[in-house]
Amino acid sequence: MYPAPIHRYSRPLTLEELYALLNSNDDDVLVLAGGQSAMQAVKSRMLRPSHVIDLQALSELKFIRTKKGTLTMGAMMRYVDIVSSDLIPLELAALQDAASRVGDRQVRNRGTIGGSLCWNYSAACTPATVLALDGKINLISQGGSTRQIAADDFFLGPLETARSESEILLSVDFKLRGAKSGSAYKKWGLITDALPVIGMATCLHFDNTDRCKHVRIALTGLANGAERCTAAEAVLAGTDISAEKITQAMSAACEEVSTYSDSIATAAYRHQLIKTIGSDVLNIAKKRAFGLA
Amino acid sequence: MAKIAIRINGKLFQEDIPERMLLVDFIRESANLTGTHIGCTYEGVCGACTVHLDNEAVKSCMLLAAQADGHDITTVEGLAQGGELTALQEAFKSEHGLQCGFCTAGILMNMTDFLKQHPNPSEQEIREGLIGNLCRCTGYVHIVNAVLKVVQENQLKKA
Repeated sequence: MYPAPIHRYSRPLTLEELYALLNSNDDDVLVLAGGQSAMQAVKSRMLRPSHVIDLQALSELKFIRTKKGTLTMGAMMRYVDIVSSDLIPLELAALQDAASRVGDRQVRNRGTIGGSLCWNYSAACTPATVLALDGKINLISQGGSTRQIAADDFFLGPLETARSESEILLSVDFKLRGAKSGSAYKKWGLITDALPVIGMATCLHFDNTDRCKHVRIALTGLANGAERCTAAEAVLAGTDISAEKITQAMSAACEEVSTYSDSIATAAYRHQLIKTIGSDVLNIAKKRAFGLA
Repeated sequence: MAKIAIRINGKLFQEDIPERMLLVDFIRESANLTGTHIGCTYEGVCGACTVHLDNEAVKSCMLLAAQADGHDITTVEGLAQGGELTALQEAFKSEHGLQCGFCTAGILMNMTDFLKQHPNPSEQEIREGLIGNLCRCTGYVHIVNAVLKVVQENQLKKA
C-alpha cells in the first residue's frame, strides 16, 4: 500500500491553468479531488498516475448557487461543507442525509461530491443520491466548452462514467420543484457509516391533490452500483404513496434488481434491506414534502 | 522531486521530496515527529495518523505530502502548549483513556477537532465521531469517558 513513483504534481489555481495542464499530453494523468477513494487506488497501485493534478485550490469549484429554480453545487464541495451548508433546501435533504454518513469525519473533511461521482464506486452513497434527485452533471473540457449530461446517462456501471479523460466535472444541477417536494437517503452497512450493503435514495413531488407526480428511487450497494428502481417508481406514480403502495413498490424493486448471497448477506437479507430501507426513505421523503419532518 | 514548504506545529519545513511521499511519512521522517502513527500500513482505515490540516482532522496517509504544501499541520506534539497538556490529554490520563497508546495520538487529534465542532455532544455522537479511529485495547469505554469528562468540565465552566 504505497504509491508507485509519481513524476509530476500540479495544483492549478484557475480553470485556465487546469486546461493547460490537461493539454500537456502527459500520460496517466490523475485528477485528484478530495482523494479519499482515489488515493486508496493509488496506494494499492490499481492506479499508477505519472502526473497528479490536484483540484484543491480551484475556488471556482467550491460553491452552492441557486438561480431560476435550479440549485448548482460545485464539484469540490466536501461532505462536511454539504452537511453544514444552510443553502440546501429541505427538498434536497437527501444530499445531506448521504453526506453526513460517508466514511468517518476525517474522510468527510476531505471527500467531495465531484470526486465521488467521478469515481462511481459500486457502494458509494453520492451517485445513488444524485441519481434519485435527477441531477444534471456539468462537464467542462480542455477548450472550456461545457456539456450537461443527466445522471441517468452519466453512471455507466461500477467505476465507469460518461466523463472522458479530457473532461472535468465542474458542478451538478438539481431542479428545485418547490412546495410538496421531499427527498431522503438511508443506508445499512456492517458498521456505522460504512459503505452500504444496501443504500436507497428517493425524491418525491406531489400535486395539488396530493398525488405523487414525480417519483424517483435509486439504489446502491449491489453489483451494478447506482441504479434506478423504475418498476417501483411505476407502482408509486400518481398515487398518494400509501403504506400499501410502498409495500407493493418495494416488492417490485426486489424483483427488478439482481441480488445475490455472499459472506456479508444472503439474497433474502438484501431483499429485506431493500424493503425496510426503501419504505423508510419513502416515508421520510413524504413527511418532508408535507412539512411533517 | 517536488519542492514543498509545510508548517508543522508552527515550524516551517522546506524540502525536496519524491512526489509519491505520503504526508504521514513527511511528518515522521522529514520532520522527525513520530507521535503520528501508522497503524494499518497506509490503508486509511485505522485513524492513527490523524493530524490537523488547517485545523481540521484528516488522515495523513490519505494525502500526498505535496498536497499539504503551503498548509498548516498540527500533530499530537503540537497540542500541549509550554509543556502543559490540554484538558483532553489530561482527561485521557485521569480516565485511563489509553492502554498501549498506539491509537491515542490519532484519537486526540480527531476528538480535539470534534469538540471544537460539537462542544456539547451526546455519548452517541462521540461514539459516531470515533468511527474513523480503531483502538484494539480499550473497547472505547474509557476513551468515551475521557471525552465526556472534558464536555462536562466545559459545561460546568459555562454555568
